[in-house]
Amino acid sequence: MNTAINLSTAPHLRDRWTTPFIMKVVLLSLLPTTVVGVVVNGWNALAVVLLSVGTAVLSEWIFNKICHKPSSIWDCSAAVTGLLLALSLSPDTPLYAPVIGAAFAIVVAKGCFGGLGKNFINPALAGRCFLLISFGKAMSTFTVDGVSAATPMADLAAGKAVNVTQMFLGTSNAVIGSSILCMLIGGLALWVLDVIHGQICFSVLGGFTVCMGLFGGQGFDPRFLLAHLCGGGVVMGAFFMATDYVTSPVTKIGQFVYGVLIGVMGAIFRIHGSTADSFSYSIIVANLLTPLIDTYIVQKPFAYRKLARKPGTEKTPLLQRIPRPVITLTVITLVAGVALSGVYAMTKDTIDQQKAEAARASYRVVVPEAESFESTDAIDAALSEVRGSVYGSGFGRSKINEAFIGKDAAGQVVGYVVSVTSSDGFDGDITFALGLNAEGAVNGISFTELHETPGMGMRADEDSFKGQLIGRSEYPFKMTKSGEGSAANEIDAISGASVTSGAVINAANAALDFYESFMKEGN
Amino acid sequence: MRNTFRGGVHPEGHKELSRELPLKLFDPKGEMVFPLQQHIGKPAKPIVKKNDPVLVGQRIAEADGFVSAHIVSSCSGTVKAIEKRRILTGALMECIVIENDGAFTPVEGMGQKRDASGLSREELLRCIQDAGIVGLGGAGFPTHVKLSPKDPAAIRYLIANGAECEPYLTCNDQLMRTRAKEIVEGLVLTLSLFPNAEAVICVEDNKPEAIEAMRAAAEGHARTKVLPMKTKYPQGGERSLIKAVAGVDFPISRLPADVGCVVCNVGTLYAIERAVVYGEPLFSQCFTLTGEAVAHPGNYIVRDGTSFAELLEAAGGLKEGVTLKKALVGGPMMGIAIGSLDVPIQKQNNGLTLLPEDPVELAEKRQTACLHCGRCTTVCPVGLSPQVMSDAALAGDYERYEKKLHGLECVQCGSCTFACPAKRPLMQTFKQAKAEIMANKRKEGGAKK
Repeated sequence: MNTAINLSTAPHLRDRWTTPFIMKVVLLSLLPTTVVGVVVNGWNALAVVLLSVGTAVLSEWIFNKICHKPSSIWDCSAAVTGLLLALSLSPDTPLYAPVIGAAFAIVVAKGCFGGLGKNFINPALAGRCFLLISFGKAMSTFTVDGVSAATPMADLAAGKAVNVTQMFLGTSNAVIGSSILCMLIGGLALWVLDVIHGQICFSVLGGFTVCMGLFGGQGFDPRFLLAHLCGGGVVMGAFFMATDYVTSPVTKIGQFVYGVLIGVMGAIFRIHGSTADSFSYSIIVANLLTPLIDTYIVQKPFAYRKLARKPGTEKTPLLQRIPRPVITLTVITLVAGVALSGVYAMTKDTIDQQKAEAARASYRVVVPEAESFESTDAIDAALSEVRGSVYGSGFGRSKINEAFIGKDAAGQVVGYVVSVTSSDGFDGDITFALGLNAEGAVNGISFTELHETPGMGMRADEDSFKGQLIGRSEYPFKMTKSGEGSAANEIDAISGASVTSGAVINAANAALDFYESFMKEGN
Repeated sequence: MRNTFRGGVHPEGHKELSRELPLKLFDPKGEMVFPLQQHIGKPAKPIVKKNDPVLVGQRIAEADGFVSAHIVSSCSGTVKAIEKRRILTGALMECIVIENDGAFTPVEGMGQKRDASGLSREELLRCIQDAGIVGLGGAGFPTHVKLSPKDPAAIRYLIANGAECEPYLTCNDQLMRTRAKEIVEGLVLTLSLFPNAEAVICVEDNKPEAIEAMRAAAEGHARTKVLPMKTKYPQGGERSLIKAVAGVDFPISRLPADVGCVVCNVGTLYAIERAVVYGEPLFSQCFTLTGEAVAHPGNYIVRDGTSFAELLEAAGGLKEGVTLKKALVGGPMMGIAIGSLDVPIQKQNNGLTLLPEDPVELAEKRQTACLHCGRCTTVCPVGLSPQVMSDAALAGDYERYEKKLHGLECVQCGSCTFACPAKRPLMQTFKQAKAEIMANKRKEGGAKK
């Protein structure tokens, strides 16, 4: 008799599902999105995908070598990370970005914390956010036929109409993996195959939709909600990023709470934040909360659940079967939401009044000779035309708020004031009054709203920057980074704050354009 | 929704290897070995001496106390020795060894049919106890103990377990197909112990012939019905069946009788019928010899004490050119891996599965870190979080394991371990944790005394 029989404790059978198998299924489910992304966006997109996946796998291999660990590239998790990262990048990304991002994702976000199963945030998102923070400008460049253009999300934030059909199909001007149709096919297939947890993806989508409907300012308008759902990686986040096993809670209730958190935070960040990447950040924040959720929400055996069916009793009604934490969290969210919107509504008028007063004060600063500020019918008509939407083209997201002609005591025109707001600031809106003298040259700038980075963007309010504009009228001004704005229309950017500088210069150009078009003597 | 429980897994059945093969009685030629403890409870005490002649059906060891069971000889011959022999768990145990004369002469009066309808409750239980019947589903709990709950009137369901959810095994399927009448007879006798109970025969729906046979046999009997079950492991687990039939989940500290249920394997019911109607004690049971390494799989009625090796040899041995990598008593989900086939078959054994490949060995090569995928939580029939439990147990946090995670509720069905894509040894961890917790409790208890 053969004596080489193996011993083991029960069970002696194992399922066919293995870690590499799951990862390959996920890769396969991303295939349609990748193919559409590459076909629509061309060679650079293909290069981004290949570089990202290649770098991810290579860094995993090298990292394992350095750590003297067995190679783990065949579990395919690095490839999934690389592909997800690539799909969340712009097709016009410079090719160094996917390399740096993927290496960061694998080495720093995953490897340094112990590799597969030990990372505390989604590596692909960590890589993406690292790139966004490091190369903000290059990461947010999206071009159409070689010309920089706004993404649907930027348009949506600016209140413009967007083409939802294009967004759904993935032919809009957005990241490589922007085909919602393909994402849905892959994501739903994963859900049906039981690879991802339905309670995560659907609570993300649900939380986001409800929050967006309640606080998005447009109610439950299906077009508005659809546009938001189709843009900014909501679907990719819900089906592929939030459902990452390692960084999501293990219990059903925990997963539900986690999903709603992502949805709600994603919506809030999108409504009130300055960035279109609300979802990346909301998922990362929820990832960080996962250990906490798992500590406090522990699944009890069926027999210990409060509402476990006792022998001979009827089924408990649905309302009683909803777990206590869910009810509590819902109530807290509702109360907080109502309180916040109530405070906002009550203080809105006062805040507006004060804003208006501050604006008036700033007009006197920029045209000190004026005794009174007057308007004309032509200006009013022009203002009502442009108010509330982005002004002209080529000025970024600049809006004209108010415009007045400054007159002295004798009624002589001594200058003009245009109040303008740019939404392109690094951290929220930038509003300032631009004063012009009677000849149309810049007389002064006074900021009423500026929340940029201290020491960088905030230096827009210093004379070294805004002083450059005084006395000039050769609009449109151009921004240079050379440090020696020599040409008549060149303005030196604040070093380290080109986003802020660009926003201010664009807004100033918008104001000058408005002046030229509607206010200049004789117009 | 079909009758079932929450969670569970779907291992490949492999039942086609033997499901159509009829039960054959196997008469061994070699010596027969009877371990003194083949049940849960105290070991039995031998009542024969060396060189004593014995007959088929003769009691050779007596139960020691209430929770214990008699041992009955399955062959005729002489007692060769009472000594320590290796049994299937790998341990040495005191065994009665009988030299088999090959004649299988029965004791007088055994096998004669008698009218059992007039038996009182006590007589019936005495009859079952005398026959040395234990639960044939695997655990081997003495049946007379199980059938004597504190309050027999409180029992609402008597569940006949014919689920046979364990992969490979098919002997209960064959037993139900060919001995349906006898099983129902045993069920009706048992049901007479519980005045308020309804008898429910549970069969997984992958055995349509068995369901049909049981339905036909159960027809006309009051308080008796057949309930097809969804095919899912561990459907045949006591708690899974109770969940499916009575809709109740209950903690491990409570017995099925506490929620008004008694579960008996169909094999046990058949044994009760043989014992009560024919006066034949338990010395043989149905048994499946199967697995990809076996040349000729089959379903057998085997005699206790037969060596696994002898049965295999008589059945045609291993497939040619195949190396035996794993030998399992029972099926691959709950069975015991044995290192040598030269050990005796015991009362509660219902199969031998021989595999040319070791799935565990293959899986261990594919082990990765835990992904937190939650498959273990989804499949757990008890509603535990195996992955969290495993973390706690490996960190030595038994306090959290026991109190917060209710780790001791684990029924050790192995579904989590089966389903784990990272091939983590979850159940092995839980077994160890449970052993340590119990040891600590005993230590604390001792210190207090």
